[in-house]
Amino acid sequence: MKISTSEYIVRETMISLKRNSWMSFASIGTVAVSLFVLGMFLILVVNMNRMVASLESQVEISVYIRDEVSDSGIHALEERITQMQGVESVKYIDRETAMKRFRERLGDQQFLLDSLGETNPLPNSFEVRILRPDMVRTAAETIAEMPGVETAKYGQDVVEHLFDITRLVRLFGLALMFVLAMATLFIISNTIRLTVFARRKEIAIMKYVGATDWFIRWPFLLEGIVLGCLGGIVAAIVLRGAYRVIAAKIYDTLAFFPLLPENPFLHYVTAAILICGMFVGALGSTISLKKFLKA
Amino acid sequence: MIDMRDVSKVYENGAMALDHVNVHIDKGEFVFIVGASGAGKSTFIRMLFREVLPSEGSLVVNGQDVIHMEHSDVPFLRRGLGVIFQDYRLLPDKTVTENVAFAMQVIEAPRRKIQHSVNAVLDIVGLRDKYKCFPSQLSGGEQQRVAIARAIVNHPALVIADEPTGNLDPETSWDIMDIFKRINADGTTIVMATHDKDIVDAMKRRVIAIEDGHIVRDEAQGAYGYEN
Repeated sequence: MKISTSEYIVRETMISLKRNSWMSFASIGTVAVSLFVLGMFLILVVNMNRMVASLESQVEISVYIRDEVSDSGIHALEERITQMQGVESVKYIDRETAMKRFRERLGDQQFLLDSLGETNPLPNSFEVRILRPDMVRTAAETIAEMPGVETAKYGQDVVEHLFDITRLVRLFGLALMFVLAMATLFIISNTIRLTVFARRKEIAIMKYVGATDWFIRWPFLLEGIVLGCLGGIVAAIVLRGAYRVIAAKIYDTLAFFPLLPENPFLHYVTAAILICGMFVGALGSTISLKKFLKA
Repeated sequence: MIDMRDVSKVYENGAMALDHVNVHIDKGEFVFIVGASGAGKSTFIRMLFREVLPSEGSLVVNGQDVIHMEHSDVPFLRRGLGVIFQDYRLLPDKTVTENVAFAMQVIEAPRRKIQHSVNAVLDIVGLRDKYKCFPSQLSGGEQQRVAIARAIVNHPALVIADEPTGNLDPETSWDIMDIFKRINADGTTIVMATHDKDIVDAMKRRVIAIEDGHIVRDEAQGAYGYEN
């Protein structure tokens, strides 16, 4: 494209953005809101996926032993598990130690256990560390079959639960994103339609004197892209701020939740938002121009 | 320049605007298209720059097959043509110079060439001293001259004019016709639809009369032939 043509396109775009400033403002706002929601779901889903992955990679199995098993039986069991393939270590936790740990974890809410009196409902258990995450499931299943073992648990329940929630969030997010994308597309294409309408005579003359479709299309396309991009920038700024605040809150209260660090994650999210914004903008103007360029 | 064979045009509402029309126009001719309103004149004119597509037949304009061309080739057909309308169709927020230069900008002509060509063409239509004016500051005749300047600035082989003097008084109309004569004398083909009996009769050029979608008369040095 020639330099004079690029200048022409940029100038026309600026004029048109100014002429429809209120409509442009509304478009940027809608794009910003939609992209903000998109970014939120993106962050949520990525973080939940990460949490699932980190739980899955936990290589520890808690083995609960039946109360009637004798000390020698426990010792035999320990021996048996230690000799299994893939087992790194086995640590015996008797019920007293388990209770002590539990009390420690409750902290200042220990009074909850007062009603139990002297009874200890916790079983004796082993903490079995496995060499590789992919061996955990089979190991847990084998151990659960052994006589004297009540249950062998690893993160599976939590993982499956989290999977369900993630799937739901993803589905809901997709549906919401679709609706918002439609709304955004609608408002952008309407904004551009106003511009096209204001300049329909000019477009007609351009066609009579032999302007190509692309020459006519560019200023409008650029207008849509600029609207989308500005909306994306607003959304990204708000989102980054929000993530910082929320992340700080989560570290304070839910320290175990492995939230992704800001960088480079937020850069990727920002890039995704800007690209989506520009794409929606370009698509919106293409839609409004289609009818005008056909004849 | 124009070769129209068995061309018909039926609009979507079923109206038959042209019915198997055959016309051949050579390079350098000056041709009037006459006929009552609704006779098919306008359809004939608009087909030449492919604003209306023939329903059947074959049409070659300036060496290009108008009917079978790709949509993306239409701009290049139009770059070889200059089109002038009764209502001038100037851009109100652009000056005389800008209106004319616009026709070159949109086909991406180099800036220096634009400047030179615009000045030259404003000389031809006699508007050099009004180059800074906006259309609203010009008379109807002057506005039409700007439109002519815009139509010829890219040196088209064919100028198509649809009632170019329709909004002008007789004296101004003659000024406009003088410009067309000069353009034609330089070798540009001109096809002009008109209702102006006096002009057609005085010019003694080829006249094609259209009635009800048919060509009823085609005379080398014709007259308007109708009472106004």
